[in-house]
Amino acid sequence: MTEAFTGFSQRWADFPDYIIGITKEIWEDRGLATLHDYYADDVVMRFPSGILRGNQTVINGTMATIAEFPDRVLLAEDVIWSGDAETGYLSSHRVRTSGTHTGFGAFGEPTGKRFDIRVIADCAAKSDTIYDEWLVRDYGGMARQLGLDPQKIARDQINDGVKPFTPADDVDGGYHGTGNTNEWGAKYADILQRIMAADLAVIPREYDRACHLHHAGARDGLSHADADIYWTALRSSFPSATFAIHHQIGRDDAMMPPRAAIRWSLTGKHDGWGMFGPPTGAPVHIMGISHAEFGPWGLRHETTLYDEVSIWKQITLHTG
Amino acid sequence: MRGFDNRWKDFPDYIIGITKEIWEDRGLATLHDYYAPDIPVRSPGSMVIGNQDVIAATMATLAEFPDRTLYGEDVIWSGTPEDGMLSSHRLHSTATHTGDGAYGKATGKRLQYRIIADCHAINNQINDEWLIRDQGAIVRQMGWDPADYARDSIAREGGADNCVQPFTPAIDQPGPYKGRGNDNEWGEKYADILNRIMGADLAVIPAEYDRACQLEYAGGRSGISHGDADKFWTSLRSSFPNAKFAIEHQIGREDPMMPPRAAIRWGLHGKHEGWGAFGQPTGAEVYIMGASHAEFGPWGLRREYTLFDETAVWKQIILATGAHD
Repeated sequence: MTEAFTGFSQRWADFPDYIIGITKEIWEDRGLATLHDYYADDVVMRFPSGILRGNQTVINGTMATIAEFPDRVLLAEDVIWSGDAETGYLSSHRVRTSGTHTGFGAFGEPTGKRFDIRVIADCAAKSDTIYDEWLVRDYGGMARQLGLDPQKIARDQINDGVKPFTPADDVDGGYHGTGNTNEWGAKYADILQRIMAADLAVIPREYDRACHLHHAGARDGLSHADADIYWTALRSSFPSATFAIHHQIGRDDAMMPPRAAIRWSLTGKHDGWGMFGPPTGAPVHIMGISHAEFGPWGLRHETTLYDEVSIWKQITLHTG
Repeated sequence: MRGFDNRWKDFPDYIIGITKEIWEDRGLATLHDYYAPDIPVRSPGSMVIGNQDVIAATMATLAEFPDRTLYGEDVIWSGTPEDGMLSSHRLHSTATHTGDGAYGKATGKRLQYRIIADCHAINNQINDEWLIRDQGAIVRQMGWDPADYARDSIAREGGADNCVQPFTPAIDQPGPYKGRGNDNEWGEKYADILNRIMGADLAVIPAEYDRACQLEYAGGRSGISHGDADKFWTSLRSSFPNAKFAIEHQIGREDPMMPPRAAIRWGLHGKHEGWGAFGQPTGAEVYIMGASHAEFGPWGLRREYTLFDETAVWKQIILATGAHD
């Protein structure tokens, strides 16, 4: 721990310990009621699928997820964080989560199938309380593992009255930080901006030839070719959309390689061919979060999440 | 790097560089220079001497898998240019099985598997090697059961008396490298973990592994968390419960841009007398050459890669029991 960690209960060794600890307590140890304390009464939670307000809504949502996947396990792969007690801490928490689909819920009838996906939660915390959040679950990967089609799930959910998140719906939750100025965050931001500007030559230049990739849709890839395929398939569906970086963290921690966490968005029209089929002209907002680990030979591990189901929902809402 | 060509900036660069040059850039002939004429190359499936045989084997592999890639995931090393250096090189390969060869008729299957190669280098040349390829992953992806593959390979190689003999200490031929690695704390720590697992102290797994650990094991099996680590190590050990576990080489490293990590080459030598990953106990005497790499993090062991060759284990069991007939 290099930075001071103040304003939190002494039972947490550091900020990552707090984040990993309360996540386990809330979900696996079934401390949903602790959300009354751990989450601010008027917490703002943005999912690609929509925006939620208030910890009672969060508790209800957590309960619904537990009802659908009672044995869900949440393993903390990393906590990449920035901030201080003054501006608030921001944790970008990458979770590997698996479980069995045994209950009724957002995915319809229970399929009895197992899922194993990644989630990244960006949480702002102050004085033991989370008050602002952005959360991207790999629903596309989950849908596929349950034997369902992300586009069909979106169609099934079209009349559920929940509007996918767009900046127009955003509410000020109180966190106004944009991360830190560490070089690894700056480097990763530069890489993503180049990719989004179709400067794909940045991939062989900056990614380790043996890199491992985990992208939305629970796709695991290897080396430059897969990085090129994954990023191009996304960008080419929205070639004229605006790419924006909202939050950028870089870190050099003991016991860890240099790493970065970036929350970004793509806002614009579905006006190209790519992973979302024929262009429809639908207006789309994509909330994405990417984590990277760097090594001596370049970017070694990358996780990039966005929610394909919410993208399909926006497309389907437009095409009818 | 005294004694090495100036174009390599460090030892990992040399190892990664010559691997690409030999395989992907088709510089097989460079093996005349890069490999010593009398190099011993030990694999779980064989004991080969000399760079001429290495060139022949490389060519045979390329004939079977012309598009094979060899991505260097890591080079964990010890030693000095003056005394010689030992590189434990973890590779991730992709390949399409488009040629007939040692694996039988071409299946057209796309493969992905890992290799750990421990190479000793001095004076710009490799002169001693231990090489573990995840044969279990390869043959499974081709559609084989590893035991069936081993049985079939005995027949294809001319039967029990004529087939290629799997490596055991009895057929080992000493090479020039006598080192045992280094005494870095992460190598010590990982050695302790493996010794405890092999001593059936399985509680070491939740104590020392990160709860979110990622595991890549022999047979191309990926796992997560404590449960999968427990399952893998138990299913191996319980097949050979009284076998002698020995650490042959141990490296720990703290390098810039990398988490602390360790590379351990080990052997498990004894009788197949328990139930586990290798089915019904047969009493066959088996030698297992294994290599393990670990990356540590703030919450414990974060990534582990352990390879041994299941087909070589099965081959020993089948040869000992006569079940090849």
